[in-house]
Amino acid sequence: MGGNLRPSFWRVFWINALFAPKTSLGFMRIDFILGTIFIIPFTQMLFFAFVAQLATNASSPIAYVVVGNAVATVTYSAIFSVCQTTDSEKNAGTMEHLLVSPANRLALYFGRGLIPILISLATVSIALVYAVVLFGAEFAPGAAAELAVSIVLTAFAMVGFGLLLGGVALFFRTSIILGNIFLFIGLLLSGVNFPVSALPVPLQWVGWGLPLTWGIASIRAGLAGAPIGELLPLWGLVGLCAVVAFGLSIGLWETFERRALSTGSIARF
Amino acid sequence: MATRSSSRGRGLMASLRLAVLQFLADPQWLVPSLIAPVIFGLVSFEIFRGADPVFVLYAIIGGAMMSMWGQTLYGSGWATGQDRELGTLEPTLTAPTPYLYVVLGRVIWNTVSGLIGGAIVFVVVTVSYGRPVPLDNPISFVLLLVLVIVSLAAVGIVFSAAYVYTRYAGFIQNIGEFAFYVGTGCMFPIVLLPFWSNPVSLLFPPTWALDALRYAAIPGYGGLSWGFWGDLAGTLGLTGAYLAIAGTVFVRVERHVLEIGDLSDY
Repeated sequence: MGGNLRPSFWRVFWINALFAPKTSLGFMRIDFILGTIFIIPFTQMLFFAFVAQLATNASSPIAYVVVGNAVATVTYSAIFSVCQTTDSEKNAGTMEHLLVSPANRLALYFGRGLIPILISLATVSIALVYAVVLFGAEFAPGAAAELAVSIVLTAFAMVGFGLLLGGVALFFRTSIILGNIFLFIGLLLSGVNFPVSALPVPLQWVGWGLPLTWGIASIRAGLAGAPIGELLPLWGLVGLCAVVAFGLSIGLWETFERRALSTGSIARF
Repeated sequence: MATRSSSRGRGLMASLRLAVLQFLADPQWLVPSLIAPVIFGLVSFEIFRGADPVFVLYAIIGGAMMSMWGQTLYGSGWATGQDRELGTLEPTLTAPTPYLYVVLGRVIWNTVSGLIGGAIVFVVVTVSYGRPVPLDNPISFVLLLVLVIVSLAAVGIVFSAAYVYTRYAGFIQNIGEFAFYVGTGCMFPIVLLPFWSNPVSLLFPPTWALDALRYAAIPGYGGLSWGFWGDLAGTLGLTGAYLAIAGTVFVRVERHVLEIGDLSDY
């Protein structure tokens, strides 16, 4: 027998990109996707806008709260859905097959992230349209390109973070708890509804470690038409979060994979 | 030979027992349904910081209601979907005990666990507040909290009946969650909403129950114009109506799917 049986990088990438929505991301039906893009952002922003209206707190004006929540809704598709792919593999009994396959893990991971990245882009874009058109959030029209860069970087970083959590979830019986924690923790720690500086110092440090915090900061700056000199460091930090998250997720996957192959224990978790 | 009522009673108790055992076998499931309410309670508390101290009660009541929604309405409504997934919906519907009693057993346990969740939210927000919560009458607060959860359970039972006809129960509940929070005014009085939306909000008993709870707990609260007693009467009337509707709908749904035999179509 000769020849290289290992599938190419791009074949693995595209197969995972195209098939993940029907397999490991199979719970993301079209109705859920449309609801995530069009309905959840609006209702979540409305909810916190009324809370802000009742509070009349100077550090949480309605415009600030709706922009924060517009970006935070990215967690539904980027974190909760992606994190659950590990559960889907385990439930379907395909995890063991995946672990012994020769598929390139980088291609596999990036491929699986493609559709969630597109959904995340759509979710944040639609939510920001709601924020500007319906809630009167400030938008500098000349800064559309800078805003687009901020949105794309945030979507990448958040999906990377979702994949990282999916890697952690390999070790657990279920990813639901992990997914739920990181689905909402950003609302508290990432400057969604009030500045991070309002938190106790230890929580501020946790907040600065989350990609959502930097994503929101860069999108807020983009909306306000901040100069490129102010945006570049923020983009750098969002990009750094993305690289670290993707890198760690692959590292975790490899670690747990080695452990699973050496102990034959992956099905136990 | 068992009488009809004893058979229904046994069915209800068996369903309740199973719900308790399922919870005890894997109590971690209380955690996911608590994470969102606790975080939302804390976020709202932070947004309310600097306002009048009574605003901490808005955060507590709102967070507790969300937790009870998670356990009660979500749990009860999802019961049918779970039966469908496990393949037990058809055998349960064809059993001699009416399906309503099976659902009722689950609802009773979900109500108890919902109260546990509400209590946990209360404790977490109170600890974050760091001072005694300005609550004049804790007993009436607890009683009205129970009323809120009963009103939620009534909505949950109606939803549960309707979900026999659809596979979109999860979709409706996930996507509609925030809309329900806004519509029932769980964190703010519905008088803040546009006036045209108020009649829709008033169709749901939790709207009335939450307003009554705030009237009792928050000094100087300006909610619905008919005041505490009007809210209380509305809650009791609507909750009773929902339970009556649920009973009727369950009987009709059950008869329909048994006559036509098309349950697997949904």
